[in-house]
Amino acid sequence: MIDVRDLHRSFGGVTALDGVTLAVAEGERRAIIGPNGAGKTTLFNILTGELAPTGGTVRLAGEDVTGRRTFELARRGLARMYQRNELFDPLTARENVALALTAKAGPYRFGGIPADEARAADELLERVGLAGAGATPARALSHGQRRQLELAVALATAPRVLLLDEPTAGMSPAETARIAELIASLARSLTLLVVEHDMDVVFRLADRITVLHEGKVIADGTPAQVRGDTLVNEVYLGKVIAE
Amino acid sequence: MSRIAGLRPRVGGLRPRAPGFVALGLGALALVTFPYWSRDWESSRYATTVLRDILVFAILALSLDLLMGYVGLPSLGHAAFFGAGAYAAAIASQRLETEALFVTLPAGVLVATLLALGIGLFAVRASGIFFLMLTLAFAQMVFSFAFQATDITGGSNGFAGVRRPELFGISFSAAEELYVLVAVSFLATAFVLWRITRSPYGRTLVAIRENERRMRALGYDTRAIKLSAFALAGALAGLAGALSAYSLRFVSANDAGIGTSITAFVMVLIGGAGTLAGPAVGAAVVILIERVLNSYIPFSQTVLGVVFVVFVLAARQGVVGAARTAWARARG
Ligand SMILES: Nc1ncnc2c1ncn2[C@@H]1O[C@H](COP(=O)(O)OP(=O)(O)O)[C@@H](O)[C@H]1O
Ligand SMILES: [Mg+2]
Repeated sequence: MIDVRDLHRSFGGVTALDGVTLAVAEGERRAIIGPNGAGKTTLFNILTGELAPTGGTVRLAGEDVTGRRTFELARRGLARMYQRNELFDPLTARENVALALTAKAGPYRFGGIPADEARAADELLERVGLAGAGATPARALSHGQRRQLELAVALATAPRVLLLDEPTAGMSPAETARIAELIASLARSLTLLVVEHDMDVVFRLADRITVLHEGKVIADGTPAQVRGDTLVNEVYLGKVIAE
Repeated sequence: MSRIAGLRPRVGGLRPRAPGFVALGLGALALVTFPYWSRDWESSRYATTVLRDILVFAILALSLDLLMGYVGLPSLGHAAFFGAGAYAAAIASQRLETEALFVTLPAGVLVATLLALGIGLFAVRASGIFFLMLTLAFAQMVFSFAFQATDITGGSNGFAGVRRPELFGISFSAAEELYVLVAVSFLATAFVLWRITRSPYGRTLVAIRENERRMRALGYDTRAIKLSAFALAGALAGLAGALSAYSLRFVSANDAGIGTSITAFVMVLIGGAGTLAGPAVGAAVVILIERVLNSYIPFSQTVLGVVFVVFVLAARQGVVGAARTAWARARG
């Protein structure tokens, strides 16, 4: 579904991605782990077309989409939950979701807001644990609720591929458990790429794990293989688990 | 909080809002018929002229607010489309030797729209201060062209003797009838924008203002949407320009100049960006200070400057925004 070849990206003198190659099959759940600054978010930014790579190619469902604009990739079924929430702060939670739900219907509609829209949005809000929050402005929600809304917005476009950038960051253990369960309950046909620091979540969710370090893939395999990898334990897992 | 919002009974349906609509309808009727019921006043003719010019600028300010207040694109070149509409209506009337409203008015709107599409193609790639500078630069090009293309526009002399329109035998050459045309156009513009701000399209514009990155990630071609809003705002500015040409029977390059752009900008800021009533209130405040106060006190331009500074410093949301806040506070 996603096929990345020899991706490079640098910012001035900083090399964020240094030849990343990675293939994710349709319906696979792939975790991408690695220390801060490893290039995980940069990889996502290139996958969504928000950043151009300085080298390499990205294929989506077999088609070369390198350099395509973000909205085109979104229309091909790519959705994303950002590491730092990207919401419409003054708009209500319901409106945030509705804008995602109606993206396919297009913006050039000049009649009233369809009456069934609110119900569809509320159903999705309920699914992510925000029942009853529909009329609350996004900016008035707690951090945990904003993460849930961010996920609802990403799900509302009915994507084929979903990129989750640290979905549980800053959440309480209860909230983390809940959102991890929700992600686990998503349709198996959905291709998932998850960047996550909570190893319980990663090992529970992932079919395969890719480990990034200083812009390079240092390991790629099943959870059991990655857990047994000495290099991975040295640069990342050892530290995370010791914490 | 959400619980409380959910429990509050929604004021929907026609009945509870009917008094509001009736009042609005009566107000609109009173506005349109102003020259007739004020006929016995000593200053009726003067008041009609001032009100007419307020309404022309209110259309311009409303169209600019669609960009500034809703999409979040502050343009300092909006007069380009006002000027283009004014010249196009005047020139169409002259060249085609017609006074037909259904020829000259669409000519003004069409030329302004096409110009807005052309300029917008470049301008909407920028945002914030860069958008401001880019629109300013393009408008200066339009101004220079108007100022120098003497054969077409009359150049520095301006375009004098614009003919007032007629429609199916109804002539708008008298001051009263022309006023009615302007007032009806204003109401139509306000109605269209009111519908738009409540439509999925209008919500899309606000969402782009709030978070364009998220909109792109949802699959919205935000550049195309911004261009559509830019063209729509240009079309309405062109309408205002054509009405200005009919009103003053004169078009000058200054109609497309920086002074007119700033006037519209100040009207939106004083009245309140992102509201529908705001730009109209702003147009009234600015024109009343410029015209009416001018005959009683010296330095009316200075007064206007001071008013503007006070608003920028003390009431960012403009007259309408400040009134709303006060109203909300009074109700608890
Ligand atoms: N827009 C940017 N400008 C400059 N440097 C950046 C930018 N984005 C990321 N970087 C740098 O690239 C490296 C990888 O960052 P990032 O992809 O955010 O890592 P991760 O998400 O794995 O923590 C870091 O050294 C970071 O400072
Ligand atoms: Mg990151």
